[in-house]
Amino acid sequence: MLESLPKHTNPEEPSKELVPVGLNSATEWRKDRLYVALFLGPSLLILSVFVFWPMLKTMYLSLFLTDNFGHASVFVGFSNYLNLFKNPAYLSSLGATFVYVIAVSILTIILGMVLAVVAQQHLKGIRFFRTLFSSTMGISVSVAAIFWLFAFNPSVGVFAQISQALHLPEINWLADPHFALLAIIMTTVWMNLGFTFLILFGALQQLPSSLFEAAEIAGVSKTAQFFKISLPLISPTLFFVLIVTLIEAFKSFGLIDLMTVGGPNNATNLLVYRVYQDAFLNGNYGLASTESVILTAIIAAITLIQFKLLGKRVSY
Amino acid sequence: MKIRYQRWWLGLALLLIVLPLGACARTQAASRTQIVFWHEMTGPGQDQLKQFAKEFNASQDKYQVVPQYEGSYNEAVQKILHTHGTSASPAVFQSMDVSTSQLYHAHVATPMQKFIDKDNFDVNQISPVARAFYSQGGKQISMPFNTSQPVLYYNASVLKRLGIKAPPVDPSYSDITRVAKAISTKSHGKIKGLTVEEYGWLFEQFMANSDEHLANHEDGRTGIPTKVHLNTPGTQEAMKWVKSNIKSGDFIDYGAGGQAESNEIAAFLAGKLGIFIQSSAYISQLLAGTKDQLGITYYPHRNGKPANGVAIGGASLWIGNDKPKDVQQGAWKFVQFVMSAKAQAQWQAATGYLALNKDSQAQPILQKLYQKYPAAQVPSQQLARIKANTANSGVFMEGVIQERNLTQTAMAQIYNGTPIDKALAIAEKGLNDAVANTNRANHYK
Repeated sequence: MLESLPKHTNPEEPSKELVPVGLNSATEWRKDRLYVALFLGPSLLILSVFVFWPMLKTMYLSLFLTDNFGHASVFVGFSNYLNLFKNPAYLSSLGATFVYVIAVSILTIILGMVLAVVAQQHLKGIRFFRTLFSSTMGISVSVAAIFWLFAFNPSVGVFAQISQALHLPEINWLADPHFALLAIIMTTVWMNLGFTFLILFGALQQLPSSLFEAAEIAGVSKTAQFFKISLPLISPTLFFVLIVTLIEAFKSFGLIDLMTVGGPNNATNLLVYRVYQDAFLNGNYGLASTESVILTAIIAAITLIQFKLLGKRVSY
Repeated sequence: MKIRYQRWWLGLALLLIVLPLGACARTQAASRTQIVFWHEMTGPGQDQLKQFAKEFNASQDKYQVVPQYEGSYNEAVQKILHTHGTSASPAVFQSMDVSTSQLYHAHVATPMQKFIDKDNFDVNQISPVARAFYSQGGKQISMPFNTSQPVLYYNASVLKRLGIKAPPVDPSYSDITRVAKAISTKSHGKIKGLTVEEYGWLFEQFMANSDEHLANHEDGRTGIPTKVHLNTPGTQEAMKWVKSNIKSGDFIDYGAGGQAESNEIAAFLAGKLGIFIQSSAYISQLLAGTKDQLGITYYPHRNGKPANGVAIGGASLWIGNDKPKDVQQGAWKFVQFVMSAKAQAQWQAATGYLALNKDSQAQPILQKLYQKYPAAQVPSQQLARIKANTANSGVFMEGVIQERNLTQTAMAQIYNGTPIDKALAIAEKGLNDAVANTNRANHYK
């Protein structure tokens, strides 16, 4: 993905794509256009049927009330949007989503980084731990949910038994609105960790060892080596991981559906889950479309901000 | 040129091989009319449905019932609505209780009453409370099928061990409080007394059992609902009852949804929870999961007021109106088949859903079950004693799913300290808005 960014092309050499070479006759130009149509046509067709059309339709539906069959029936302008921003339940979903996304992204990257650094050490049996650290990648959401549901069970779960043994106050992880989001965050971070670890570990392994040897000779401490050499050099990877984690976090659905169904008291009813509830449970496609449009706008805005702010600090 | 010539022959040869095969398949299908049956059952329910289809197909040679699993109840409703009128739509389908009003107003099915009248089918053999749920204006819309009722489960062995008197079979809230408190004190807090899941279906039953309507026009039985009431004396008393148990520490909150149900069942089977309220459909799982003796009572009612009876839950069978007459007729034959006394008894024994044919109770398969587990009879007795009225026949309104989400959230708020009035007011406003929007979007007057 990163290779395709324009910065990789050499600025001294004029790009070949911009200046068409060898198009000196009208027939060849026509032929070229034919090729363009042939190559782009199929993908444009597929994109427009499966991406652009649904997007436009969603925007259209967001301005309507929809009937039993999901057809637009009463035009209401922007009142779906206005009602949503007046609805305290929706606003709390919005708040919960931001808390969730930020917490998940930060925790995943920090913990993934820690694991990657640990896995880089040349210790006995480290290969086993490398496999272990990346193992959550191979676990499906449903299996993880079942595993964590057992762990969080307030009567027979591991956490309950630990707190009982230590005479700590019992926490009802999934039923207490103060803890449910935390429980989901913990579970998601655990799920994401394998992927993040693998990518960051790969990036660290690729760094040239000569740099660290030179730093070693110059007497640079290990900590300074990490912050001054490793971190800047893997910044493109970090940036990539950050964006992927962030967008994935916005789209989290499976764990919530399986563990809390958005409850208790909407504490874990994140934006995507709300869209699903309104569309496929309540059959309210108009409202669900409105929520989708808002969610898309938020994700687009955040990604843009990230490119603008962080893109400058990333050294490729 | 030569190569092309050969390919041409190859193509022709393939065609000659394939064509007769297709024709064969066609003639075989033509001899029997296909009846596609959509359902949403998993586990033992699905196995039993396949068994029903097999037995039905073997019992005659005109129709071929093909059962197809369609995912969850909610997903199925959307599929039914969106495939209607196309070749992909089913001839007969199972759809959940709360979708009844929506499917009725969408006009996707031939009313069951039409078939009943034509064949003079004796509906009186089918449970009146279950029928009432799926009727409108005295006419049967769909046929009640897999049916459960909420009941109260308690661990009879724990009660015996701790020397606690069992609750009466028709308990009031304070009867249950007494038992819950005793369990919790006598076990020194090791066993939690009681839980009531945050669940809109249970909220509805608190109202039904108190003879209260959730929606106006008698829960939608005399007209399309335009207003709902959630803050009533019945719901107030029920929520205060839960709160008093929370306050005394005898109550444990497992939250909402599937995880809450699996958690409360896990705790109950492990002997760490004394009492819980849940669907009678869990009975087989509970009987199989523990050596402890299972106790069952009716749904608890208000103190000093008799129980009005609770509504049913589950799903019913519908016959699509977009299929030819002979397909509809075959679907109706299949519906009659699964409603027979024998099939219903098999259904209850296999799944825990209640047999709806009143002659099923005498069937040997159920007699044997009751002999082994006397408590297994309680849900059927509760169903049999209820006199159907508009308060205990379910809410005939579109947007019951929203109602359940909203009341579930209200329960979560109340359990976690929000004042009852405030939580119910929020849910009531949310639901009134949703109902107004639904009526407007579908042009209901």
